[in-house]
Amino acid sequence: MPADSWHPDGWRLLLVGAPALALVALFVAPTLIMALATLQLPDDLGGLAPAVVRDEAGLHLALTLENYQRVLGDFVYLQVFLRSLGYALVVTGACALLAYPVALTIAAAPAKWRDLLLLLVVLPFWSNFLVRIYAWVLLLGPEGAVARLVNWTVAFTGAGPVVLMYTPAAVLLGLVYVHLPFMILPLYANLRRHDPAWLDAARDLGARPLTGFFNVTLPMSLPGLVAGAVLVFIPALGAFAVPDILGGAKGSMIGNLISDQFLAARDWPFGSTLALLLTLAVAGLAGLGAAAAARLPGNRHDA
Amino acid sequence: MRRSRTLFGAALAVYAFLYVPLVLVAVGSFNAARLGSSWTGFTLDWYRRLFADERMLAAAGNSLVIALAATAISVVLGTLAGLGLARYRSRALGFLVLTPMAVPDILTGVSLLLFFVLIHLTLGMASVVLAHVSFCISFVALVVRATMANLDPHLVEAARDLGASPGAAYRRIVVPVIAPGIVAGGLLAFTLSIDDFVITFFTAGVGTTTLPLQIYSMIKVSITPEVNAVSTLLMLVTLSLVVLAARLAPSALRSGE
Amino acid sequence: MMRRYCVLAALLLASAPLAARDKLHVYNWSEYLPDAVIEAFEVRCGCDLVYDVYTSNEELLAKLAAGATGYDVLVPTDYAVTALIARGQLLELDHSLIPNLRNLKPAFRDPSFDPGNRYSVAYAFGPTVLGYNVAKLESLGVPADSWAAIFEPEHLRKLKGRVTVLDDQRELIGVALIYLGYSPNDRDRAHWDRARDLILRAKPYWAAFNASNYATLLASGNVWVSHGYSVDIFQAAEEAAQAQAGIEIGYAIPAEGAYMSTDNMVIHKDAPNPRLAHEFIDFILDGEQSAVLSNEIGIGNPNAAAEPYIDEQVLGDPVLSPDGDVLRRLHSISELDARDRRDMNRLWTEIKVR
Repeated sequence: MPADSWHPDGWRLLLVGAPALALVALFVAPTLIMALATLQLPDDLGGLAPAVVRDEAGLHLALTLENYQRVLGDFVYLQVFLRSLGYALVVTGACALLAYPVALTIAAAPAKWRDLLLLLVVLPFWSNFLVRIYAWVLLLGPEGAVARLVNWTVAFTGAGPVVLMYTPAAVLLGLVYVHLPFMILPLYANLRRHDPAWLDAARDLGARPLTGFFNVTLPMSLPGLVAGAVLVFIPALGAFAVPDILGGAKGSMIGNLISDQFLAARDWPFGSTLALLLTLAVAGLAGLGAAAAARLPGNRHDA
Repeated sequence: MRRSRTLFGAALAVYAFLYVPLVLVAVGSFNAARLGSSWTGFTLDWYRRLFADERMLAAAGNSLVIALAATAISVVLGTLAGLGLARYRSRALGFLVLTPMAVPDILTGVSLLLFFVLIHLTLGMASVVLAHVSFCISFVALVVRATMANLDPHLVEAARDLGASPGAAYRRIVVPVIAPGIVAGGLLAFTLSIDDFVITFFTAGVGTTTLPLQIYSMIKVSITPEVNAVSTLLMLVTLSLVVLAARLAPSALRSGE
Repeated sequence: MMRRYCVLAALLLASAPLAARDKLHVYNWSEYLPDAVIEAFEVRCGCDLVYDVYTSNEELLAKLAAGATGYDVLVPTDYAVTALIARGQLLELDHSLIPNLRNLKPAFRDPSFDPGNRYSVAYAFGPTVLGYNVAKLESLGVPADSWAAIFEPEHLRKLKGRVTVLDDQRELIGVALIYLGYSPNDRDRAHWDRARDLILRAKPYWAAFNASNYATLLASGNVWVSHGYSVDIFQAAEEAAQAQAGIEIGYAIPAEGAYMSTDNMVIHKDAPNPRLAHEFIDFILDGEQSAVLSNEIGIGNPNAAAEPYIDEQVLGDPVLSPDGDVLRRLHSISELDARDRRDMNRLWTEIKVR
């Protein structure tokens, strides 16, 4: 690469090469190692049996495809994947529903308030992840405010007390809570660029506010929605801590299954296989999201 | 866009949804009652117990050391990457920087565990620091790249034409522009490191319990308002750091993430 | 730039250990070593005891498989000791450094998983029991001496959402096998399938699979029946008694039988401080110290010299200090081979998912 007017030759090596090397070592290499691990056998204590074995016959590879056979041949693992996909879908939908009012309000707010409102959305995200989950452990637990409120209302129908903790509903609630800011921000970024003239035109043509929203705002905001959906769906799919703490084995997702293979089942190769498949699913979804975003009508307008 | 009562009400409800749980955690840290949400009196006892709890203090110490080390390393590498991205628009580097951010934590944690075991790196402070660096570099890089947008490229060319060496051009022109970005990126990296749970969970070793790991084991085994207390303090710390970072590099934070 | 380095260096130095006291790293179950014993040991040896915890044997094994070093003393359960010995992870004990070894009851002196106590010394034992809220079970007419309380829908209907079971595949599948009349270490896949069906039939009524804080839930009255470790249930009973909120916790070894685990002290082969580790083992085997474990956390004591110091209440309790008749109903968990383990993992996933 020719040196540009800024830097002599060596600088590109430093500016691009050094961080690239670090990221290859800390990101690419571990992923490749995980891929290799899917072909290995487990060791008795956990861990991996060596891939290359020396015995009387000399050196040979101790690799196997049985992990893949197990994953693809046994329906129960697909079930976990499907359930996780389902949860992620529900969470994404719920986040979209909650995000629109906020994003629309911030976009419509006078300039001096916008930064503050935006900061208020971002702040909970930057608070400790476990603290946010813990808040719901308290609220949904037997002594918690939400549990008591729900049971107080339920008592009117004569039904017995409802347990909120350790249910799929608790997991979904926790996931929505944790990922909501990720939906609000891209949506807002898109809505901010909408021209008020569009809605005025719709109103002049006789449309009611709700029609205006569905026919004008929503379609034009699709790129933001897709971006937010990808930012919520993928982490929700790979969620581990929320289902672990709020789900108590009833709402367990693929992340928990993977963790179990490493920490309970002493089957690291199988855990790696599940993890690799999740990685491929994530890559596929991200690609899909990017392709969808590129095609959307809203993206062709540059405001 | 037109304002609407229902819309505003809905937005307010969502804001409440986001904040009320956190406020309740903070309020609960001052509640004299051990269990339950009935208020029995104001007390600072839980904070006192917190500061007397050796395991908690050790965990806080570990978190601090790890965060400082990880921040230092990722600020250096992240700044280089940010500059590299802004100037060279290398797609390979772009891919390397953006992808770790998109991958769920469980995958990063598990793959790093396998990596460390393979290279026979004993799980401990070093492994956690390296693990944190892996995701912090990207954030710093993006923040620095965003601040580079404020730099007028013609200025550097002009300086070079006038005879300045690349080093001088950087020192005098580029660095002052990206300095707020570097600091903001550093603060964000620090916050991310302090808060990380899943990746640390898989890469921590003997005696490297961090604050989130300690909180996790307390949530699972015995919940007392001490957890509320440490949560509140943690919230205050990250709040101040983020507000500070927002002041320093508002444009960087506004770029949609 | 320089200032940042100085601050960083200062902070790093400040977090370095101040005194050059020896450290002993003990990796043990949570709530399994009373503070009083820790302090007494620190005084006697002039050292610091660093205590890390795990909540399952699998977690311990996983950490070791990941190459964790720096632990001196570990406290694995019998079947985990088998695995560790097989993989050469343990230091052979120098009996000359453990004179108190003579205090061990004969039953624990030559265990099948470690003949001659070459690598391990018994620390505590205890059955997995049925813990329950006395008043609730009585008023609902649910028997407290049978695992039917957690498996039979006729009882579960009255206990819906108030039952927890251990989140441990060996423990839960084992107790299901016991209830069906088989040995819990049975490897017949047809029997495993029956156990699975039994569990899945009961699962909708259970509140949670919980191996961590079920004792607290029991003591606070939120859960009425728990499948749990005797140590935890004992502590729940103490807690409930102290809280004086009218909740009484009882525990029983059901007639069908139960698992009994023996936890053992072992020394990791890469222990940084083996001399101190031996000292610790000898210290725990002292009659008085060992008795503190029984009195504070309710373990079954393998130490004959501890008996004079153990509270009447604990000593006379057939659950906490089982013997003769009761012992016959108890089984210990055996280590599985790779194929069995894999199939059981799969069974466990199915149980969790469906």
